Amino acid sequence: MTDGELIARVGEGDSGAFELLYRRYARPVFALALRRLGDRGRAEDAVQETFASVWRSAGSYRQERGPGAPWLYAVARNAIVDRRRALGEPASEPVDEPSKDPGPPERAESSWTAWRVYRALAELPDHERQLIELAYWGGLSQSEIAEFLNVPLGTVKTRTRSALARLADLLEGELS
Amino acid sequence: MTGPPEFRDLIGDEVPAEERARLERVHELLVEAGPPPEMPPSLLEAPDRRAQPVSFLPRRRAGAALSLAATIAVVAFLGGYLLGFRHNSFDSTRELPMHGTSIAPTAQAVIKLGKRDKAGNWPMVVTVKGLRPLPERGYYELFVKRDGRFLRCGIFNVEAGTTSVDFSVPYSFERNDGWIVTRWRRGEDEPGPPLLTTS
Repeated sequence: MTDGELIARVGEGDSGAFELLYRRYARPVFALALRRLGDRGRAEDAVQETFASVWRSAGSYRQERGPGAPWLYAVARNAIVDRRRALGEPASEPVDEPSKDPGPPERAESSWTAWRVYRALAELPDHERQLIELAYWGGLSQSEIAEFLNVPLGTVKTRTRSALARLADLLEGELS
Repeated sequence: MTGPPEFRDLIGDEVPAEERARLERVHELLVEAGPPPEMPPSLLEAPDRRAQPVSFLPRRRAGAALSLAATIAVVAFLGGYLLGFRHNSFDSTRELPMHGTSIAPTAQAVIKLGKRDKAGNWPMVVTVKGLRPLPERGYYELFVKRDGRFLRCGIFNVEAGTTSVDFSVPYSFERNDGWIVTRWRRGEDEPGPPLLTTS
């Protein structure tokens, strides 16, 4: 079921659809909130508020206007901005001087990339997601992963390729 | 190995050019996205919409409820083997629950910390459940993080079900930045990806 179909069902009060949507998006929302707020506790609050907002406003979502991922991204971003305002902080950081760090447009692009990637990762079977996480962020070589997971090296390579192909399908599809 | 993996190492040379380009784009996105954050236990389950149809619990109350649930879970976890628990005389001053990371989502553990002994060592008992037994010469390792450094606390094996192990180390646990369990890696100073964490 697509994200858009799930949101439409949530709009009709479907708790099962809400739970599925949460499983897909809890991590992307938390990652976005953590990136913007820089504090795990406040990021947890923002996740709660995002999904409360999804539950309340899903009825206003229209599938014909676009896929679900950007709609959810906008809801999450608004919840995060609201949280910053509630704490008396500016909605975005003022830029005092030129910096080598990414500016707001680049940061927004980077956040959207992470959002799409983490959302797609949530769809992988556990054994494939585990391989991707170990290969990209675990600092392990393919041989080390094989040893770590106690599976043949050939299996690691096959599963990694399969995981990348599945991610490509997901990222080229609804999330584009 | 440090840094992102080499794309060619991941997929080899046998993939057709068109598919290779498609996978390489995904590779670039993964590198750009960076590691996802570890999810706090409080967010692992979706909020119950039926119990709270409109508003969510404030986090502090939700946190208290989750703490209670976590306490019940820990009690239940420990209760199953308490009668046969050979460390039931261990005098712990603090108990730290650990939860599995996305690499080992069903794993859980409890670290019981004891009082410092006369020699200056700090004893602990670590009870682990849900980690798979490793082949020969494979071990798990417990680390405590302090001041940005990981300090070794000991290596151990597990059996199917629940395993308890004793450690004693000369570090103070009064202040730390969390604990992790990972796979022991020969010749590596830094721990590998965490399988269990307190954060």
